[in-house]
Amino acid sequence: MTDPTYYDRPLLQESVWTWAIPAYYFVGGLAGSALVLAAAAQLRKSRAHQRLVRRCRWIGVIGAGVSAGLLIYDLGRPARFLNMLRVFRPTSPMNMGAWILAGAGATSTGALLLGTRSGLLGRLGEACGYTAGIFGAGLATYTGVLVANTAVPVWQESRRLLPVLFAASAMSSLGSVFEMCVEDAEERGIVKTFGTVGIAAELAAGIVMEKQASSVARVGRPFRHGFSGLLWRSAQILTAASLLVRNRRAVGALGIAGSLLLRFAVERAGTASARDPRASFHLERDRATSP
Amino acid sequence: MAATKGFFTDTTLCIGCKACEVACKQWNQLPDDGFLFTGMSYDNTVHLGSSTWRHVAFIERPAPLHPQSEEAFSWLFSSDVCKHCARAGCLESCPTGAIIRNEFGAVYVQPDVCNGCGYCIVNCPFGVINRSEDDGRAWKCTLCYDRLKEDLIPACAKACPTESIQFGDLETLRTNAQARVEKLHTQGMPDAYLYGEDAASQPGTEGLHAFFLLLDKPEVYNLPPDPVVPTKKVKAAWISMAAGAAAIAAAALTSVFFDRGNGHDRSHLL
Repeated sequence: MTDPTYYDRPLLQESVWTWAIPAYYFVGGLAGSALVLAAAAQLRKSRAHQRLVRRCRWIGVIGAGVSAGLLIYDLGRPARFLNMLRVFRPTSPMNMGAWILAGAGATSTGALLLGTRSGLLGRLGEACGYTAGIFGAGLATYTGVLVANTAVPVWQESRRLLPVLFAASAMSSLGSVFEMCVEDAEERGIVKTFGTVGIAAELAAGIVMEKQASSVARVGRPFRHGFSGLLWRSAQILTAASLLVRNRRAVGALGIAGSLLLRFAVERAGTASARDPRASFHLERDRATSP
Repeated sequence: MAATKGFFTDTTLCIGCKACEVACKQWNQLPDDGFLFTGMSYDNTVHLGSSTWRHVAFIERPAPLHPQSEEAFSWLFSSDVCKHCARAGCLESCPTGAIIRNEFGAVYVQPDVCNGCGYCIVNCPFGVINRSEDDGRAWKCTLCYDRLKEDLIPACAKACPTESIQFGDLETLRTNAQARVEKLHTQGMPDAYLYGEDAASQPGTEGLHAFFLLLDKPEVYNLPPDPVVPTKKVKAAWISMAAGAAAIAAAALTSVFFDRGNGHDRSHLL
């Protein structure tokens, strides 16, 4: 079976995104999951829960701001960032994401400013909090659709689990941040389950996603070979290690590193895949194994 | 709306003169791409990109081209260009609405709207569009929008000395191309076929407005054998997103109502 290419030159253009985009996947995920947790904790009236709500909202507001900064920094024409909100286009996950991020930023800020007020303003703040939770769930997951909605073989073939993987990683990163940075044991106790579920789901989703992407061997190659493969395995090892160590600051550091590395691994895998014309050719010919 | 226009590139007529590349650069005032020697046949252009909107591929094929020669070698030349897909990945993914379909049915990037997000670049299954390092915006073939407005044909088609690049109404081009394939078959070139001429032949893009006549597998010309616009496959990802969002919400509610910290909290009693 012949396997021609054009002088082994790439078929696709590789992504022009810088480090800021995978960094945004992490920050946006952290902010998004924090806003969901804040909305849930809003249902409880204990002081520990209220402290948690406030801390999560701060993470959400700052995270949304940093996210916007990273995204604008990465644009070819940063001054035109508002063009993102010029249209409403469901076929473009990036456009949907711009609306989600704008919504999350606005509602979380509203919730933070009005959350402690009483009366009508307080009610409005409460409503902002719940809405921010919905936007937050979107923020932590849409980036998976963003990456999957491309012509890059390894990203496209990861589509069934990438949003779930990013959701899990968003939960685990919030858990890790609490373990590492938050002194309040009550708050940590509430977040503990959230973070641990995230870590377990992150590991499981990663393994299944790699398997799905590898049903055409050449497509899944970046998860097993080269720099992207190294990042991918390292991310898994760090995340798994965070379940094994006792010291809470070490737990947090390992979890954050694993989650961050995961986003960079996915980004690098896409670049490797775009550079490999056979990944596209084999996928489109539905050729399971490389000749 | 004017009739849908397009290109039919008949690679059997291409002589590799690169007049199309030069005419395109000249008319559109595109910058050079560096004067690099690739050592890759006569192709120092390599690929389409932000400043290269026509690219002639030079294939030195270790196989005979019947009935011209029985020698185990043949030249294949092909002038590549943006396909102006009926379902275009770049257009559907563009978050600003900068990429539009114009009155000639062509996919056009409005330079005054594009903010250089780079999403179209990873959404093109042909690797056509790219961002210019000069000005940070995405660029590709415009089907010479400005020339069409003045009833001129695109610069590449105008300059092509062998009519390998044919421009016209898409319907007419399709008819002519079909006749050309049949003629080549009767002349002893049974391998000739059309690539992407309509939705039936390439359902993933629902047909190309710039289609080709080829003599070998698409891969030989660095064309994808079965390109699919990414949005056609993405439903699974949106479902996965809904599942992921629901999972975060469920985990958050579980954590808040069954926290491991101080059991059922007593602080509201204090």
